[in-house]
Amino acid sequence: MTAVPTSTRAPARATATRRPVAGRSSPRRFLLPLGGLAVVAVFLGPYVVMLLDALRASKDVLRTPATFWPSDWQFTTFNTVLSDTRFLNWLKTSVLVATTSTLIVILVAVPAAYFTARYKFPGRIPFLFLVLVTQMFSPTSLVVGLYRQFFELNLVNTYLSIILTNSAFNLAFAVWILHGFFSAIPDEVEEAAHLDGCGRLGTLWRIMLPLTRPGLVTAVIFTFIAAWNEYVVALTLMQDDAKKPLTVGINSYVTGYEQNWDQLFAAAIIAIVPVVILFAVIEKHLVGGLTAGSIK
Amino acid sequence: MTSARMTVVAALGAAALTLTACGGGSGADSSGGGDSGGGDGGKVTSIKLVAAEYSKTNTAKFWDDFAKAYETKTGIKLEVQVISWTDIDQQSSTMIQNGSPPDILNLNVYASYAADGLLYDADAVLSPDVKTDLIDAFVDSGTFEGKMYGMPDLSSARALFYNKDLFAKAGIARPPTTWAEFTDAAKKITALGNGVVGYAMPMGPEEAQAEFSIWLFNNGGDWKSGDDAWSINSPENVQTLEFLKKLAVEDKVTQNNPGRTNRTDGAFSLFGSGKAGMVVGFSPLSATLDEDKSIDYGVAPMPTNDGGEPQTYGVTDYLMAFKKPGNAAAVKAFYDLYYQPEQVNTFIKAEGFLPVTESGLAEFASDESLKVYLDTLPNVHLTPTDDPEWDTVKLAVQQNIGAAVGPDGDPQAVLDKLQEQAESGS
Amino acid sequence: MSATSARSPAGSVGPVTARPTAPGSLGVADGSGPDDPWRRKRRPAHGHASWRVAALWLGPALLLIVGVVIYPAIALVRASFNEYSITGLRRGSAGWANYANVLQHDDLVTVLRNTIVWLVAVVTITVLISLALAQFLAKEFYGRRLVRWAIIVPWAASLVITARLFTLMYDYYHGILNTLLLNLNIVNEPVDFLGDDRWTMASMVAVGVFVSIPFTAYVFLAGLHAIPTDVYEAARVDGARPWQTYWRITLPLLRPAILVATVLNMIYVFNSFPIIYTLNERNPGFIHDTSITFAYKLAFKSAEKDVGMSAAAGVFNVLFILLIVVVYLRVVRPQEELR
Repeated sequence: MTAVPTSTRAPARATATRRPVAGRSSPRRFLLPLGGLAVVAVFLGPYVVMLLDALRASKDVLRTPATFWPSDWQFTTFNTVLSDTRFLNWLKTSVLVATTSTLIVILVAVPAAYFTARYKFPGRIPFLFLVLVTQMFSPTSLVVGLYRQFFELNLVNTYLSIILTNSAFNLAFAVWILHGFFSAIPDEVEEAAHLDGCGRLGTLWRIMLPLTRPGLVTAVIFTFIAAWNEYVVALTLMQDDAKKPLTVGINSYVTGYEQNWDQLFAAAIIAIVPVVILFAVIEKHLVGGLTAGSIK
Repeated sequence: MTSARMTVVAALGAAALTLTACGGGSGADSSGGGDSGGGDGGKVTSIKLVAAEYSKTNTAKFWDDFAKAYETKTGIKLEVQVISWTDIDQQSSTMIQNGSPPDILNLNVYASYAADGLLYDADAVLSPDVKTDLIDAFVDSGTFEGKMYGMPDLSSARALFYNKDLFAKAGIARPPTTWAEFTDAAKKITALGNGVVGYAMPMGPEEAQAEFSIWLFNNGGDWKSGDDAWSINSPENVQTLEFLKKLAVEDKVTQNNPGRTNRTDGAFSLFGSGKAGMVVGFSPLSATLDEDKSIDYGVAPMPTNDGGEPQTYGVTDYLMAFKKPGNAAAVKAFYDLYYQPEQVNTFIKAEGFLPVTESGLAEFASDESLKVYLDTLPNVHLTPTDDPEWDTVKLAVQQNIGAAVGPDGDPQAVLDKLQEQAESGS
Repeated sequence: MSATSARSPAGSVGPVTARPTAPGSLGVADGSGPDDPWRRKRRPAHGHASWRVAALWLGPALLLIVGVVIYPAIALVRASFNEYSITGLRRGSAGWANYANVLQHDDLVTVLRNTIVWLVAVVTITVLISLALAQFLAKEFYGRRLVRWAIIVPWAASLVITARLFTLMYDYYHGILNTLLLNLNIVNEPVDFLGDDRWTMASMVAVGVFVSIPFTAYVFLAGLHAIPTDVYEAARVDGARPWQTYWRITLPLLRPAILVATVLNMIYVFNSFPIIYTLNERNPGFIHDTSITFAYKLAFKSAEKDVGMSAAAGVFNVLFILLIVVVYLRVVRPQEELR
């Protein structure tokens, strides 16, 4: 493949600080990780409390006065939750719905974002604006209409209904982010590809797409999380207990008459894990779609 | 190439395919469905139940088993959707707005639905012997304009829970029977210090109407007077609310900010921590406390203002049936099966509530721990659930009454405003 | 028609107001050397395409939006002109009565004030902290990966559960936060974070910021990573000080990312439901509600119990956030980002 005329760009490390790598003085070597630790403490702190609540008996969660450490450690909670078939069904639904929705959003958003970034045509601005406006409706106010729509299509209580809804409502973010990334790629890249005989699609997926990896990663994470945590539409459209996603099912643990705070929080922590794994897998691509390594 | 990149490439390949196919929509999957099909005259092959979730452990399991028994017996499929109490109002409203209510709906109100002409009355769907077996008080509260629409699924009654250890420490021999004794006991317990309060009073939006009801019933008050007119700001009720405000503001024997404390995560958790001497509770609280085994508690009738006969505040939830073409027989079969003792009593026992039938009363009588409620159940005092207007008055009470027990609260003014709202309603 | 602007790829916002062809510069040129390769002619003009081709590329997206979003949106508007009983049964046409009822609602002023405080406070604080955080996360240090993973957690966790968790932590009696403050002798008696009117909004804002930072910081981080190093090299040769570099190079190059993050944050924060609803559940009336929880309570929790009125409030909500976004885009003039 033709060498791409991007200039030599150092990897991300140099972006934030003016100093070259060698210039790092030793206090920074300790200060930065310490700062990192403080950041971790702030953002994980509440979830550590949550974990410790999952590891104590439910009655102790709302005990006065509160204690940080459980008075009696209860390590069985996670086991209880993980061996509950209802919970596993909810988890399965969530994985299925979030994965499929993310895939659809990327498939649909990439061409739209690429095209609006690279070509002028009548309706381009209205299109981008229409996409943004879809975000402005609060889901709770649309849920009545959504129910009607899927009821008439005979799709109530099907995975397809919430997959389509999640895809449609999360399209905006992906289109907007990717639009920005595509517009930033120098035209020479594309021209070179054309000379190489790549068609539009070939150019898009063999050349342009690898260059927009940070955008893709951001869009994938965003969509996955949004679909993973969607509540009110799934609540309305999914009727069978086994077809409910985690967000809806998890409500069962604490009702006005029976409280299982330990299991609620254990389930919530388990629900975070897939997202963090997904992120851990693709996080490295967040760094530099435009860095030297992207096209060899 | 990393696997992630492979994924992206694969995704793009798929995108290319989609595009060459001019972006057709995904094929519709019509596997779901299952609305109670069947046109006019025809018999339905399935009906739908929307049930409220009392507990994770029991509710879904009971209705699943019930659906199997129902299908075996009738050959009709029963689709069950269990929804949390938090969301069930919104969900039922969504279905009704779209003209597709379930066949059976489990809710804590029914009168508005009856007034809208959506429901079957008992004459159409309840076998006579089933109706006779229902406890009279619940038949009354389920009756709107002379016909019964609200079939009770279970009931509960409130009583005074007290912490025996704290009572002993404070030197109180027995649970209070009058408001004066109550105040005295609450003061003594609060004086124990260490963050202990005499009485945990939940006047926040979750269940304020219940908390206020039980106190006003025991002061000879009521929501409506004998001639069916609203009596929210009657002297008895104002006196009751002033008494509650005094406990909170002057005597300072309640927890912090009772007007903004909910029942479940506020008053009950404080009592369960052994930090409150008394709380108004019901049988599901007993179940929780018995399981936790962390405090020694007793259950007593509510104290009354003048030492008269205690009134028991009772609550029942409903299973109402929506009129839909061809579903009358299926709905009737549903009730026939539900009110079989082995069904209804199993459900109630599992959820820790109280029976709604005479046969249930007999069956539960052997349970000592329920005696305090069961004795009073036939004479329970309910809120006016048979008046559609109550469905909004209740919400107004929940949202507003907490303000009356704050330092700047004005019980008279709050109740006057509620009275005015109730009277101005349609 | 050559756009000479140096741009960060993190997204351009603002087709709303701008002429699509407006050329513009971000003024980065002053800070970067003339030999900056990023400044060369990068994006001449768009290729032109016919609407037929456009339909092919945008078709799936349009299909999805029109197929799924338009119908319920129309249903919402229709509902706002109908009269409903409290069960949700339609009684007939309401004309403009639902809108009038919303506008005449006693608590409307309170709700609007809460909405603006919530929106401005959460978005501003989130953006400022996220800028600093992204800058920090872009540095290389031991354990950076773990820090990045940790920050994803508040984003990954369900909002409903996070809101419940904070409700517990804030509690006057069983809240761990009060235990902590008491043990550290910061306060002498517990703080009623959720029930004391002086604290309620601040407590909710803190949670709002907490859950909005991850998303925002990652958008900024992606933007930072896309800024070419040569720009900084040039600045260094020019002898710019760190703050000058940040102010004159990083921030302008990050501008598109900031715009995207701010606009999307405004929309998400405005539409945020679980935090306010859950943390405010114990408080009576509408004293701490924003317009989103107001609309919900009108339909299901308050004495109005009127889905028609709630739909009218829902329409107002869309118009309100639309107006705010348009005004914001007017003020920041994103035409510079557009070609």
